[in-house]
Amino acid sequence: MSRPPVYRPSMRGWWQRHPAYRRYLLREGSSALLAAYALWLLAGLVSLAAGEAAYERWRELHGNPWVFGVHLAALLAALYHAVTWFRLLPLTLPALRWGGRRITDRTLVRGAWLTSVALSVGVWLYLLGGVR
Amino acid sequence: MSEPAKITLEVQRYHPEQDSGPRWQRYTVPYTAEMSVLEGLQYIKDHLDGSLTFRWSCRMAICGSCGCMIDGEPELACHVFLRDYAPGPVRVAALDHFPIQRDLVIDHSDFLEKLETVHSYLIPAEERTPADGTHRQTPQAMADYYDYAQCINCLLCYAACPQYGWHPDFAGPAALALLQRYNLDDRDGGHRLRERVIDAEQGVWGCTLVGYCSEVCPKGVDPARAINQNKAGSAARYLLGWWRPGRRRGEDRE
Repeated sequence: MSRPPVYRPSMRGWWQRHPAYRRYLLREGSSALLAAYALWLLAGLVSLAAGEAAYERWRELHGNPWVFGVHLAALLAALYHAVTWFRLLPLTLPALRWGGRRITDRTLVRGAWLTSVALSVGVWLYLLGGVR
Repeated sequence: MSEPAKITLEVQRYHPEQDSGPRWQRYTVPYTAEMSVLEGLQYIKDHLDGSLTFRWSCRMAICGSCGCMIDGEPELACHVFLRDYAPGPVRVAALDHFPIQRDLVIDHSDFLEKLETVHSYLIPAEERTPADGTHRQTPQAMADYYDYAQCINCLLCYAACPQYGWHPDFAGPAALALLQRYNLDDRDGGHRLRERVIDAEQGVWGCTLVGYCSEVCPKGVDPARAINQNKAGSAARYLLGWWRPGRRRGEDRE
């Protein structure tokens, strides 16, 4: 006798099934705005290479309220992406020990944030020095 | 004596000989504060509808048989209480992402086949005989894998994983967590064997870290961590493979 047929569920509308899926999509989707910002910077670099007039035109575009809005959205997306990225960081590391004690996820995340802030401040100070 | 409180359960039904797809059926069940959802299903089977089909065994979150979707969340039916869903209706459906055989019974043969491929058993690093005595390890060495050893194969993590839903060939959370349990055991020497599973496209790279698997695990296994701990090593092996001629893409592996 043949086995009765099984019912195979579909994945249609999968993201509507749980908030965890929507959080995941938001997290991954926020990187699209980061990519868009990287392209914008690249466009600035290209116009810089094209000459002063092109570069000034690229700079003037920043006065457009739409461009400002997208920049603001990109900043928020970058912050959200950073928060989620650092939160997931401990999951990618083996169990680390310090003096025989296991380093907690919270310590790892805080350490990553401190390192990131220190590096950002360092770069910022370097750039300020360069301007002067 | 006052009437017992009642709750409505909306249960997914599928009988392949008469149904072309799943349908919902409502039952009203009297319940007490200490009754689990599993006991609600058992009440239906014993008193209302003997044709309702579901798996269960231990009633205490050890056997991993009674996993199902309860109000859209993967849960062990014995591990959640009717009182928390009262007055209902609470929806009880078969575990997501698996073929349904009948009512709440899924076909888990795909998982069992995967479990066979991950070498989830101790492969001693050195030759030993019973005469050598107990194969000891330190509490600290055990702590590294202890959480992963708690898996009861209940498959809630597979029901939580959209990647498994999209790509059923992905090894999946529980199988890879059990793989990691033995890889982290300092008495084990089977790493090379398991690298083939880890490095495959259907291995750890099938995971995009949705992370919901670790949220739903009733035993605190954290499969998302088990999987993603392997990505750095797997990437390193891939890159080194390009540098070392003859080792590329695992050509020298047995």
